[in-house]
Amino acid sequence: MKRRAILAFMLDRPGVLNKVSMLIRKKMYNVDTLTVCSSRVPGISRMTITLQEDDIAKVTQVIKQLEKFTEVISAKELDTQKSYWREAAIVKLEVDREHLTAFNGRYNFEILEKKGKDVQIVQIAGSTVQIDTFLDEVGRENIIEIARTGVAAMEK
Amino acid sequence: MTGKEKLLAALKEKGIKYIFGYTGGTIMPVFDEMDKTKDFQFIMSRHEQGATFMAQGLSRASLSTDNPQLGACMATSGPGAMNLTTGVADAHMDSVPMLIVTGQVATGVIATDAFQESDVVGVMMPICKQTYMPLHADEIESTIHEAHYVATTGRGGPVLVDIPKDVQNESVSPQYRFDVKGYRPVLPGYLYHPTPDREPLDRAIKMINKSVRPLIFCGHGVINSNAGKLLQQFAEKVNIPIAFTMHGLSALPSDHPLSLGMMGMHGTVEANKAVMEADLLIAFGMRFDDRVTGKLNEYAANADVIHVEIDPSEIDKNVATSVAINADVLRTLRVLVDDPLLTYKPRRRWFKQIDEHRKVMKKELQAEIDTGVGDTGTLLMKTIVDRLSKLTKGKDLIVPDVGQHQMMAARFYSYQTENSWFSSGGAGTMGCSLPMAIGVKLARPQERVWSISGDGGFQMNIQELGTVMEHNIDIKMLLFNNGYLGMVRQWQTLFFDGRYSGTPMQNPDYGFIAQAYKIPYLKVEEVKDIAPALKKAIKQKGPILIEFVCDPTEVILPMIPSGGGFNDMIVTRPPKEKSASKKKRKVSKS
Ligand SMILES: Cc1ncc(C[n+]2csc(CCOP(=O)(O)OP(=O)(O)O)c2C)c(N)n1
Ligand SMILES: [Mg+2]
Repeated sequence: MKRRAILAFMLDRPGVLNKVSMLIRKKMYNVDTLTVCSSRVPGISRMTITLQEDDIAKVTQVIKQLEKFTEVISAKELDTQKSYWREAAIVKLEVDREHLTAFNGRYNFEILEKKGKDVQIVQIAGSTVQIDTFLDEVGRENIIEIARTGVAAMEK
Repeated sequence: MTGKEKLLAALKEKGIKYIFGYTGGTIMPVFDEMDKTKDFQFIMSRHEQGATFMAQGLSRASLSTDNPQLGACMATSGPGAMNLTTGVADAHMDSVPMLIVTGQVATGVIATDAFQESDVVGVMMPICKQTYMPLHADEIESTIHEAHYVATTGRGGPVLVDIPKDVQNESVSPQYRFDVKGYRPVLPGYLYHPTPDREPLDRAIKMINKSVRPLIFCGHGVINSNAGKLLQQFAEKVNIPIAFTMHGLSALPSDHPLSLGMMGMHGTVEANKAVMEADLLIAFGMRFDDRVTGKLNEYAANADVIHVEIDPSEIDKNVATSVAINADVLRTLRVLVDDPLLTYKPRRRWFKQIDEHRKVMKKELQAEIDTGVGDTGTLLMKTIVDRLSKLTKGKDLIVPDVGQHQMMAARFYSYQTENSWFSSGGAGTMGCSLPMAIGVKLARPQERVWSISGDGGFQMNIQELGTVMEHNIDIKMLLFNNGYLGMVRQWQTLFFDGRYSGTPMQNPDYGFIAQAYKIPYLKVEEVKDIAPALKKAIKQKGPILIEFVCDPTEVILPMIPSGGGFNDMIVTRPPKEKSASKKKRKVSKS
């Protein structure tokens, strides 16, 4: 299924996030990530939703339903080709340091902390695919705990 | 000044005269204040759900008058507010403007599961157009003004204002100012686009001129924007037939030569066949609900669709459009009616085709109406509605409940007055009729109002007879008693091999009930008594209840089975039920 990102700007009023999540449940959209942060303008939040959907009509419906909320100022789909999608992750790994040095230069990561001999807390940023392949290469069986931010996206 | 005073001042400013509701702990300060001001007529419902339908009736019926009023209801927190939900959800589905004010527990105890605390905003959010909880007295006035604006503009809907008790009592701050006259809501994200863009209009006009078998759809939006007369002018100008959604009924006269009547599940043969054969649908103010379309992938396969709709999220939701016009129906029609490029066409072949469809079932239906009794020897609902239509010349206001009688009222009353049909459509809430008729009567006191209920639905808000009694509300209540949840029974006849599970019911003696509420009562069991009873109701000043003993085996046809397509339309009556002649129904004596 095609992965898509919707970018929306909305008034920072109580209940907006609630409305968006209720919409997702009610309409049974297949949402992967949802991130909210403040925007350049005080009082206005920026929300990025990524979801899996092949049917463009359904995506248009999500956008129209979002726009229908009185608080939502604008909503649109981001063209994959014409936008950056980035995530960050913090991963607690059971590996020794040497294992990680092999990835130096290939991935944009940083060791935040070394706990004991072979437990490392690593921070990594990049596209979703980059983070996924990094984790594959490091070995998913070595992950003790992982925290991913969800996607932040911006048009080029 | 306190929050409650500001609240009432804002309600008054917004032209609200009637408040429907029920008191209780957290709304008492407002009720106390209301009694002091004498600015409102308070109508106490006997159940909060009743208040919501009264408010709906007022909003709906008054929108076509010189004095449109927003239906307002008020209730206490917890159970009071929860009892409102059904009527609020109903208003949401049917785009009915409504203002709901609820009391909430004091801010100091919110989120502690205090006595009668419910998360009213949380519960109401998905069934309201917007919800508010002002936390300071200073916010109340602007909130009410914004709520009124949101409820009544664009696609209408219910709006909730939940006010904690301490905020009701709090004084506004010394520096508080509110410019009533200069107030404009600041809603950068609010979608309201009433004026049609030129580009889609031009494409629509070309398409209409090119079309050979066009069909107009008249939806609720036509009624809501008071555009019935203009739609009629437009249809006459281009000579295009009109099919109605259930909520579009009464936008223009039912017997207009271009009218095909209602379409959809219980629509007429001619309307539904025309939809199947049309090459262009011009839809005004509607949302292509599944009761209208049936199976979507078979729907209007050969037609282009022009969709005029105020709510952009309805466009391309269920049916893909060729031309989308996101605008107010009235404003769009104003342009179309005057457009010099749109021309009259005789469309002889198209109308000949339609006239053929009009013949299907016509004789059988007329024969049934004339006989007046069904297989069990008791009255047919369609005959009663037909007689009512003739006696009132189709001019009265009709408020049906939900069930077979509702569809009979939709099909067999000939609506002549614009905005004279008030029904629960999207939600189909049984019990709506009695309280809604009260609101309708208050909005249009000079007109005659008929509430038509089944024995099932009547008992769902039967307690509002108390409200009718107390205020001597002059509504004529017709109770079509078939001893069954008839509409469900019909499905059981057609699709469940006649197994009547959960549909028969023992009824009370309605004569005693009417008597208990001091309401005049008549019971009709013979065809010859139908017209005299209705005449008596017309003569009677004040409310009356007439019970008609109806045939439980009567069916409303045609019918497109749920989930079926227009090709599955049932037009022939099911065989006479074996038990029908043997088991003469027991009728309570009074
Ligand atoms: C509140 C509610 N509960 C259940 C239903 C499902 N339902 C739709 S029509 C109907 C039967 C209505 O029976 P009655 O009021 O006697 O009217 P009739 O169909 O017999 O004319 C039922 C149960 C509903 N629409 N609303
Ligand atoms: Mg019944």
